[in-house]
Amino acid sequence: MLVLTRRVGESIIIGDDIIVTVLDVRGDQVRVGIAAPRSVRVHREEVVRQVERENAAAAASAKRAAGLVGRRPPRPGSPPPSRKD
Amino acid sequence: MVQSTEALTGDRELRFPDGIPGFADARRFLLTDLTDDRTFQLLQSLDDPDLSMVVSVPWLFFPDYAPELDDAEQRALDLERAEDAVVFCAVTADEDEDSLYLNLLGPFVVNARTRVGRQVVLDDPSLPARAPVSGGG
Repeated sequence: MLVLTRRVGESIIIGDDIIVTVLDVRGDQVRVGIAAPRSVRVHREEVVRQVERENAAAAASAKRAAGLVGRRPPRPGSPPPSRKD
Repeated sequence: MVQSTEALTGDRELRFPDGIPGFADARRFLLTDLTDDRTFQLLQSLDDPDLSMVVSVPWLFFPDYAPELDDAEQRALDLERAEDAVVFCAVTADEDEDSLYLNLLGPFVVNARTRVGRQVVLDDPSLPARAPVSGGG
């Protein structure tokens, strides 16, 4: 891992066209701005890892899930998840 | 409105050029119906015989689910119209209970016209990766 130290307002360029800028530091939180081409996906790491884990869990339980949906299909109309707006 | 999975099931493969998170080499899939009412499908990897997962269209259980694709995702999928998008979510079964969960945080989105898809990681931290679906019976 390349380690750089930046002050607020300073930036890092990755490749030819990805720019990461430190916008703000408050306590233990750093607000970071990322300018990248629209074709480059940018995500919080822990969210990507969560989807990776869920994919592994879905794959591992596929046989069991297939058996469950065949036998006892869940009821549609369960309450929707809450969303922040 | 988005297309139903009927547009994608059958013998013609779906292509995921970037694989899916955790399975970067899994780029070709088949989607087949698991239940007569088409509520659930099986997404099978053609590259990895051990990789299959049950999937379901999320609105059947979560009618207010409204995943938003940003520009980057729409361009990656060549999505010119919302109607070309087919959306389905991975289903996980609990080890100990007969519970099922839908991954609403990372839906699969496939362009019905091109059959090219991606698993999109949504930018909404309130969306569960494991949303419980109530059991039947």
